Amino acid sequence: MKIAVCIKRVPEMDVRFKIAPSGTSVDETGLKWDMSDFDGYAVEAALQLTEKLGNGEVVVVTVGPDAAQETLRKALSMGVTRAVHLKVDAIPFDNFAIARALATELQGGGYDLILFGKMSIDSSNGAVGPITAELLNLPCVAAASKLEIANGKGTARRELEGAAELLEFPLPAVVSIDEGVARPRYPSLKGIMAAKKKPLEVKPAQLGDLRMTVSTMALPPDRPPGRILGEGVAAVPELVRLLQTEAKVL
Amino acid sequence: MTQNVLFLLVLVAALGFFSYNAQRLVRYLTTGHDEHRTDHPWTRLRNVVVIGIGQSKILREPFAGILHASVFWGFVILTLGSIEILARGVFPAFGFDRMLPTPVHGLFLLSQELFAGLVLAAVVVLLYRRLVIKPRRLQGDKVHSGDAVFILSMIAALMVTLFLSATFDRVVEARHAAAFQPISSVLALVFGGVSPGTARSIATASTWSHALLLLAFLNYLPYSKHLHVITSLPNTFFSNTSGPGQVGVMRPMDLEAEGVETFGASDVKDLSWKNLLDGYSCTECGRCTAACPANITGKPLSPRKIVVNVRQRTMEIAPLLKGDRAEAAHAVLAGGEGDDAGGGTVGERVGHRLLDTYITEDELWACTSCRACVQECPVSIDQLDVINELRRNLVLTESRFPEEIQPAFEAMERNGAPWKFQPADRGRWADGLGVTTMAEFAERNERPDVLFWVGCMASFDDRAKKIAVAFARILNAAGIRFAILAQEESCNGDPARRMGNEYLYQMLARQAIETLDRYHVTTIVTTCPHCFHQIGNEYPQLGGHYEVIHHSTYIERLLQQELVPLRTENGKQLVVAYHDSCYLGRYNDVYDAPRETLKRALPVVTVAEPPRNRSRGLCCGAGGGRMWMEERVGKRINVERTEELLGTGADALAVACPFCMTMISDGAKALGSDVPVYDIAEVVAGQLER
Amino acid sequence: MANNILAFAESRGGDLRKVAYEAVTAARALADATGGEVHAVVAGPSGITAKAGALGTYGADAVTVVEHPAFADYNPEALAAFVAERAKGGGYRVVVLIASAQGKDLAPRVAGKLGVPLASDLTTIRLDGDKVVGTHPVNTGKVIATVTLTANPAVVSLRPGAVTAAEKPRTARIETAAPAGDPAASRVKVTQTIAGNTAKLDLGDAPVIVSGGRGLKAAENFKLVEELAAAFGNAAVGATRAVTDDGWRPHSDQIGQTGRQVSPNLYVAVGISGAIQHLAGMRTSKTIVAINKDPEAPIFKVADYGIVGDVLEVVPALTAAVKAAKGH
Repeated sequence: MKIAVCIKRVPEMDVRFKIAPSGTSVDETGLKWDMSDFDGYAVEAALQLTEKLGNGEVVVVTVGPDAAQETLRKALSMGVTRAVHLKVDAIPFDNFAIARALATELQGGGYDLILFGKMSIDSSNGAVGPITAELLNLPCVAAASKLEIANGKGTARRELEGAAELLEFPLPAVVSIDEGVARPRYPSLKGIMAAKKKPLEVKPAQLGDLRMTVSTMALPPDRPPGRILGEGVAAVPELVRLLQTEAKVL
Repeated sequence: MTQNVLFLLVLVAALGFFSYNAQRLVRYLTTGHDEHRTDHPWTRLRNVVVIGIGQSKILREPFAGILHASVFWGFVILTLGSIEILARGVFPAFGFDRMLPTPVHGLFLLSQELFAGLVLAAVVVLLYRRLVIKPRRLQGDKVHSGDAVFILSMIAALMVTLFLSATFDRVVEARHAAAFQPISSVLALVFGGVSPGTARSIATASTWSHALLLLAFLNYLPYSKHLHVITSLPNTFFSNTSGPGQVGVMRPMDLEAEGVETFGASDVKDLSWKNLLDGYSCTECGRCTAACPANITGKPLSPRKIVVNVRQRTMEIAPLLKGDRAEAAHAVLAGGEGDDAGGGTVGERVGHRLLDTYITEDELWACTSCRACVQECPVSIDQLDVINELRRNLVLTESRFPEEIQPAFEAMERNGAPWKFQPADRGRWADGLGVTTMAEFAERNERPDVLFWVGCMASFDDRAKKIAVAFARILNAAGIRFAILAQEESCNGDPARRMGNEYLYQMLARQAIETLDRYHVTTIVTTCPHCFHQIGNEYPQLGGHYEVIHHSTYIERLLQQELVPLRTENGKQLVVAYHDSCYLGRYNDVYDAPRETLKRALPVVTVAEPPRNRSRGLCCGAGGGRMWMEERVGKRINVERTEELLGTGADALAVACPFCMTMISDGAKALGSDVPVYDIAEVVAGQLER
Repeated sequence: MANNILAFAESRGGDLRKVAYEAVTAARALADATGGEVHAVVAGPSGITAKAGALGTYGADAVTVVEHPAFADYNPEALAAFVAERAKGGGYRVVVLIASAQGKDLAPRVAGKLGVPLASDLTTIRLDGDKVVGTHPVNTGKVIATVTLTANPAVVSLRPGAVTAAEKPRTARIETAAPAGDPAASRVKVTQTIAGNTAKLDLGDAPVIVSGGRGLKAAENFKLVEELAAAFGNAAVGATRAVTDDGWRPHSDQIGQTGRQVSPNLYVAVGISGAIQHLAGMRTSKTIVAINKDPEAPIFKVADYGIVGDVLEVVPALTAAVKAAKGH
């Protein structure tokens, strides 16, 4: 079983972002970076599949700047076999361009399965996986919350609004992975040391034209400070009113 | 003459056999890795004198302590007599009576009689204790009670034969009663009617029996947990648990070492020879396990079992590795708690290892690293060192740990705190207090007197923030120029280190050292005993050298110097029970400062002590990374401890650690108690003049 | 440049979904700006044609319907092929989908087939000359990106609820069409749809979480939390470590550092003081409500709305009020 997992390097989200002077990106000073959460689930799912079958190869691919190699190394330290870095100066927002670069690399690679996270937690588009599938003309399931592979066939589950569906598809296929499929393992130091010696290939990314760009980035209005609405049952009507009109969650 | 030759043959055979076993056991120690343990010889000798010869640790439990000390001191004295007996067996003419002036020889005889009597009496009580009283800590799965009864009986027989020999010598020679040999003199009167011939036979038989028993005893030791008779003094010499060096410091670890495939220890070969000597030295007294908070509350951890397992595994694998027959390891020395784990064919033995075969993951993660086991061990065994090395292996080599600590690891790595909080919010507790940051001092080209290292708890936990605020108010009131690092502070790495993640620890620690050195920090105060211990005692391993003072000590100094303006009016008589933090107490010997601080701050305070206090204090349950793990088995440690604290009838509970604060407050909540829990800084800040 | 807008109208089980009207409403607004028409596409099993007329109410000028038994369940490949074929054939300026569970799967496929990028999960959309401009929350909603599309057509998916369906009635031309290729030949097949809100909502998926702490005083009072969750309808039940330790709830319900880490749209903390262990698991929730008797409890520091009071009184009142609000 040969599996490719496409991953992305993203900033740690638990910070207060600032906008860079250009106004089209966040200020990267002081940010910590790591593999996008859902991509971690995808890497873990791939490792578990090959471990269960007892043979196979897991290859991670990323489009990104030089620093994205840290993310590839992390995947290698988890147990991935080798890595491919499709190099760009900055990751474009155009998901078709990224899918094109990935499809160019993956085409003819002999992969039985190509996994993605269901979306990157920074740009949150969830489009690169399915577009790549279209470019490769492969069957695709987006945002699978369960995935099983047996006898050259895959079964997956997708969560819908208040429902779920089970799907079946032949291999090779593209699947994007939702939370819950497999919790990513924590790399051991042994794995980190081994990762330093694993193959990591660098190639220029074939992006093509960019037809979707970020024209501005801005911070949303500050969340209003918390407040105590009152004491006891008397405060309930005001709470319900605010949940309906201000927070809009009811 | 024939007798002497015969005796010589027996003696040579016995000593030869003993030597064979001794060199065998010494060779097995080399299964472990090499380690230098002869630095600071004077400190080591002091430990041997105080802990070994002075029996200071065994006397922590007075009843059993006195009995053991009697036997031990008795043996030391009686060894002189034994030398004479063995020498006389070969050279009948040998005798101290010829070598010593009569009064001195008289004293020698008196000492032999008195100590033999003392040993015999002690042994009888010890036998009674083991067979009739049966203290809890000597019970349990496969504790070597048979071995203990056998060895006690042997000692009793040694003493009895000694007396019989002395008594019937007197009868044979019809000597007058002598003050130097009061016991045998009385016995000689009792047996005065025995015919000289019979008396001579009994005397000879007794002497022979005594000498043979002595040699048998010597040769039994290498097969028994009573090997400690031989190893405990050297073990104490080579031990670091009471110094030299800072106690409680984890082993340094070179993560860059070339070609290393395993990290930490999964088997005895990964431990040091000293850990294996610990195994030889354990006599399974169970004091460690009796003091272990995990064990007390029903968790699957027994520090005694950890050490016994090290010995069992050594006995299982070392003979194979060192080219001895597998049977060389006798069942008794390989037995004890958990002995059903090893054994089998050679192939099976090789396939086993200390981790998993003998010691399970659950045992290792139950440890709070409170050091109570190490504190109690009369022969200075370091149980915690083994636990720490095995944890390192689990995390660094195998990535096996309770799943709930992964978020803590990830948060330390990404957010610089074991919880996922925003690093930018670190200094927010100080909003409105007029606290200056290190960066602000540097901008003005100034240096503060001290750096207040706040720690993650007091930076992010709402309850603990109040401790930081209280301490800052005290510093302000005393006119101390202090700074905080605010968002430049980050977790010091201690939780990661205690949970076995040395890699993450070194990453965080090096970062912190870089920050501290960038500001040329020399003196640090902190409200967190874990930060205090880590930065002060363990950072030197990575090249960070700072004077770190815990706030209890710092406040006490300020109070002593009368720098803190306190209100003087007397309130009501307040009884406060103080809970000792492990990392402050057992790790750093700070017991009095927090108590003194409480007394000085509140002139009318009475400090109540729970039954387990100071170096015997029971852990709150948060140490060793337990703060970030589930406690699913047995009684909750914090509840056990809080019950004890509330049992003093105190009006308030006092702590000196933000983690203890959480655990004890939660304990009080769980018990439905309204008794408040304060940090000592809060108590002092509450008395500040407005 | 083409002026017409194509809207995909989602259906499930032979009925149009609410998001279908949102798509048409959004498309109508764009078409009004270009002066073009709104064409909607619908696919479903037999009988779906009868439902298509409703799209005219929201401003569709024409609706293309494909009826085929293979569209009874979601048929991603056939549906994407059909929508893409319509989009190519009609020469549209914008193709509008909604980023529902189905739309998140369908929209990028359509974009892929058309060879263009997808602007997904937009919260606003407008035309700017020959470009399409939308806003899209990125970095878990902490940053808002304004995205400019120059591709032709511009394929967008809108966040559900970002546009409120508004009536702009007209009589839509209903055309039936054949599917593109054989829909039964799709490689990806839905084998089962697990309908309804039958299964307990997972803490990770639930938009609302009602969570209880030791302030509830006794295990039996936890039913108040369950009743409040039931009143919301889309809520899961969580608990603090103290509660799961005491066995009032299973360990799998624990929210916090050592349990589940969640960020629902609404988190209601009932009788929870807000220990660091708990906050680490729910602090990132979009809106936090706290009910606790102690006004000093740390939970109020992170809460958007707080009520100080006895949970045993406040929670039943809140349950009744939520039921009333949901009812109308």
